[in-house]
Amino acid sequence: MSRYFQTFLFGPLFILLACLTLPATAPAVAQQDTGAMPLTVPNPSNDLWRAVRQREAPASGRTQVRGVDSGVLITQSGEAFRNYRMETFIGYAGLFIGVVAALVLLFYLVRGRIDIPDGRSGRRVRRFVDADRIAHWVTAVLFIVLAVTGLTLLFGRFVVLPIIGADAFGALANVFKQVHDYLSPVFLISLLVLVVRFAAKNLPARGDLKWITSGGGIIGNAHASAGYFNAGEKIWFWSVLAFGVVVSVSGLLLLFPVFGLSREIMQLALIVHGIAAVLFIGGSFGHIYIGTIGTEGSLESMTTGYVDTNWAKLHHDRWYEEVKDQAEPTPVSDTQRTPASMQPPAADKA
Amino acid sequence: MAKMKFYCDAERCIECNACVTACKNENEVPWGINRRRVVTIKDGEPGERSLSVACMHCSDAPCQAVCPVDCFYTTEDGLVLHDKDTCIGCGYCFYACPFGAPQFPSAGAFGSRGKMDKCTFCAGGPEETGSSDEHRKYGANRLAEGKLPLCAEMCSTKALLAGDADVLSDIYRKRVINRGAAALEWGVNLDKANVRHTPGMSGKASSKS
Repeated sequence: MSRYFQTFLFGPLFILLACLTLPATAPAVAQQDTGAMPLTVPNPSNDLWRAVRQREAPASGRTQVRGVDSGVLITQSGEAFRNYRMETFIGYAGLFIGVVAALVLLFYLVRGRIDIPDGRSGRRVRRFVDADRIAHWVTAVLFIVLAVTGLTLLFGRFVVLPIIGADAFGALANVFKQVHDYLSPVFLISLLVLVVRFAAKNLPARGDLKWITSGGGIIGNAHASAGYFNAGEKIWFWSVLAFGVVVSVSGLLLLFPVFGLSREIMQLALIVHGIAAVLFIGGSFGHIYIGTIGTEGSLESMTTGYVDTNWAKLHHDRWYEEVKDQAEPTPVSDTQRTPASMQPPAADKA
Repeated sequence: MAKMKFYCDAERCIECNACVTACKNENEVPWGINRRRVVTIKDGEPGERSLSVACMHCSDAPCQAVCPVDCFYTTEDGLVLHDKDTCIGCGYCFYACPFGAPQFPSAGAFGSRGKMDKCTFCAGGPEETGSSDEHRKYGANRLAEGKLPLCAEMCSTKALLAGDADVLSDIYRKRVINRGAAALEWGVNLDKANVRHTPGMSGKASSKS
């Protein structure tokens, strides 16, 4: 009986012990096997592929096939492009846009809308002629369309595709890609028109530095003195030009694959296009916020072309001094549209 | 399941480009598209070698990773295939692929890219197997007929092999052992990959295999 007992007791114990120790001994056995082989087998083709892969310059061979980089056997930069795009760029781009949007929201919650303290005067002054406004809105609409289509192509696989499914997202992305491609040259033209129309008024002038050092009057109620455009608007204007040119040039490279540009250039163009576009979009959040819900009376300068004289006095005092003689009563139709300006026009004597 | 792979033996490839032609013919690919190409390095110099390159059907495919519309899928056989209905022709897969496998027909304004086309391992695409839609978009589906890709099937020197990775490895290992034995017998330094031009050596080491 005791032998059976011993078998029952030590049998499983031995198996358990073997399970724990055998894996440790197995590699040693395997090593002995390979060590017993007298020759390491030379492999000429492995050497060849390794040489092709590790060569510093692109291993450019000769091929009968005509095409971009068709003589190149392996491009090293593809892997770097993939890692950068999938593991760095998309994540940080999403984070950046989210943080900017959150900051704008936070600013709105803390500071609220910047009102005109004296209310509306009921008198208005011309700020933008029709050509200015057309140039602005064409660029603005194209910018928003390009931003929405571009962001969808960037984040859609992770955000939109899981919701609407692969087939629907494929169809959507096809349309968006075409829209993005065909509208982008128009955006470049409208951007250049915008720059030509607004450049003179955005040249640095006396007082800009002071406006910047006083923080543009964002904190507190003290308003910084400014001319036609304040320094913040000027910085945005030149940023638009810089980002617009970078986005457009890199975009044009991507738009014309027929010129046979190498993959390295295309990868670089796509990386630059993405970074510049995301920064551009982040900046536009601030611009759109200030121009719409952030400031009372700002949006109508671009929708109607006129601003209230009190708004002009508040935000662009030095410009207002120049044009206050041209002030005129605000038409009734406009005041009906904006109930805040229903106060009597007597408030302004200018 | 078997993992399907291509293998091109640089010691055997004679740069005849028949694989390229066979592929074009079998798959009726659009003008300007070459799913397969033969690249010769050191052309006309000592150590000249040729390799036939197409999609390598990577297990962790860069094209699949960067595709903004996720149009790639990996089959049970380890083949990386894609859906042309979803593809938007952005070209990212071409930028990411180390082997230059994705190809694009010139379509639309500005010569912009059409739907991406690449080697399917003669396994068609997501359409119904054997349908005319599948043939029109992706070319032949020889795998469904129990055949291997035509490029490898008709390679005259059997440099280009296609099939189950394990089988290919066995074939190649046998070749290498034969060649290695022959080369070592000759006292050739294979690290320099200059098998054919060692001073005092007549003939090719590989001819002994």
